[in-house]
Amino acid sequence: MRQENMRRIISVASLVIIMLIFGLTSDSFFTADNILNILRDCAVYGIIAIGVTFVIITAGIDLSTGAIVGVTGMLCANLLYYYNLSAGLIVLISILTGTICGMLNGFIVVKLRVPEFIATLSTQYLFRSMVFVFTIREMGVITNKRIENPAILLLGGRINGIYLVTMAFVLLAVIGQIILKKTKFGTYIYAAGANRKSAELSGINTDKVRWAAFIITGFLCGIAALFQIGRVGSVTTDLGNGWEFDVIAAVVIGGCAFSGGRGDVFGSTVGAIFMAVLQNGILKYNLPTAAQLVVKGIVIVLMIVFDAVYNNMMQKRIQQKAREEDAAEMAGGEA
Amino acid sequence: MKKKVVSLFLIGAMTAAMAAGCGSIETDSSSSSDASAEAAAGRDAYSEDIKIAFLPNVIGDSCAAAWAEGMESYLGSFENVTFDVYDGEASVDTEVQIMDELINQQYDAIILQATDAAGLAASADKAEAAGIPVITCNLDADTTHTALVAAVDIEAGEIIAREIGESTGGEGNVLIISATPGATKGEQIDAGFKQVLEEEYPNIEILDEQSGEWLTENANTVMTDFLTKYEDIDAVLCHNDAMAEGAAEAVNAAGREGIQIWGVDGESKMLDYIEQGLCTGTVYTDCREQGISCAQMAMFAIESGVTGRVMSETPVVKMAPIVVTADNLSEITEDMRW
Repeated sequence: MRQENMRRIISVASLVIIMLIFGLTSDSFFTADNILNILRDCAVYGIIAIGVTFVIITAGIDLSTGAIVGVTGMLCANLLYYYNLSAGLIVLISILTGTICGMLNGFIVVKLRVPEFIATLSTQYLFRSMVFVFTIREMGVITNKRIENPAILLLGGRINGIYLVTMAFVLLAVIGQIILKKTKFGTYIYAAGANRKSAELSGINTDKVRWAAFIITGFLCGIAALFQIGRVGSVTTDLGNGWEFDVIAAVVIGGCAFSGGRGDVFGSTVGAIFMAVLQNGILKYNLPTAAQLVVKGIVIVLMIVFDAVYNNMMQKRIQQKAREEDAAEMAGGEA
Repeated sequence: MKKKVVSLFLIGAMTAAMAAGCGSIETDSSSSSDASAEAAAGRDAYSEDIKIAFLPNVIGDSCAAAWAEGMESYLGSFENVTFDVYDGEASVDTEVQIMDELINQQYDAIILQATDAAGLAASADKAEAAGIPVITCNLDADTTHTALVAAVDIEAGEIIAREIGESTGGEGNVLIISATPGATKGEQIDAGFKQVLEEEYPNIEILDEQSGEWLTENANTVMTDFLTKYEDIDAVLCHNDAMAEGAAEAVNAAGREGIQIWGVDGESKMLDYIEQGLCTGTVYTDCREQGISCAQMAMFAIESGVTGRVMSETPVVKMAPIVVTADNLSEITEDMRW
């Protein structure tokens, strides 16, 4: 069986196991409302995770996604409150702002040659501080206002029980998966992450590819921000705070390797659902809060440690196989 | 290429199928307005199985612990009542998610400290629409719900402004170490404080205002910086006691005297600081008592069926503020300390 399929089966099996554990021990887990809630909860993180999948496959990292959602959301709230812009314009501005933030990340990483970790950690501070620039103030005091624009609020709504954000997530995930697996650009993304030097030698402009991955992430953060505004109906200064870690955890649980070149959007989608199920399921036990956090932390650590062990094991197996092939070739030559 | 076209077509078809048959998009708020006309029916809260949840902004602070303790002490007297505490992790997103979860688990009442009034409004609406009374504790949700049980915030700012105004004879320099920007409680204390100074004590100047982000150590750093910048400081307002304690340590370390330091909350450590002369005063709220009030309101709403759905405005229960200085410290007896 191909390594990729094996890892995919493990991700899905982990999700099924955790769902069964929660489902069999709680009456309120396998209810329609709860499942719809889980699919809603995972969707916003999941949308961002699609972009972060691209970045991590190129062996990069993006720590600024939560802050991009924050600044984008706050800018939209500001424009809605002070200028009463139409929903169409707000959607456009949100996506554009996210994209520009992603573009800046890419510029710093690719053109200024700053390592991704440092670059996006710095822009996280920059974007987070921009949130305070765009906050709504009354008499100099930061005030959070309810968003009244009905079209924007519809983004938090549902049709026949299924939330719009869930539909958008499914749609974007399918598109993301097709781009990764079926297009030349997708192949370049994998090549840039698996072995950047070889990719460059074979004529791939890895700088462009990595930059594009950051832009896609920013674009998706802009979309995620819109759905979150629609759901909550207001924007606070802590919008998106710490999201980057849940998103990265989802992507890694889904099978993306930090070393690059491995993973896909399907896996990250499973990872995002896994995180939402974990969060949702733990709440069912009415454990003391400290215990809830400990359980969540332990499960995430176990999943990530497993991924690292699995990754090493597979790496060794590939090396072993290569050695065997070399030996066989040499033996054949001698004969 | 053909495959790609087919895939894209499938995506389009799938989305269309999901949306098919839809009359309209339903939001959390729209479902609540549909249900708002429904008549409320009470239940026997003292014999039926009842589940009540408490969702504070964050469980890690002493206020939340005291509220939970108060609620537990009261609700624990009834064997039929289960009481659970959840952590809002100081995040609107988390609170919104947990609210959905509590509605899904069909709690009978939710006591909520809304991290953000506007941000939790839709969630409170949704819970009320599902027949679950929402009682907000200290931090309000920006929508009509069953009740708000609040410690004074704006009033605390006003009280401290008057205390400082009177003790300085209406003249002097004041500094503010504020909450995390955007935090509703901090904003309210700030608004009350500034308004009174502006209207009643125009000769008191606010020299500077920096955020200590609710934390003792950050407030200590901010105050240390203030002390190097400003020679003439008469008083410092901190938006909570934890920050007042940090500021007091900075003043003490610098060996400066004659600076009043005020906090808000009345936690026991602050009372010790006041006793030792390190801090000047605080606006004390009996948080355990406040927790009990919230729990009583929840039981009342379940028993009577009188919830936010039958009200045009959220009724407010305000806790009595007690200004505590070294002069009246003994009024806060051991059993009132938290």
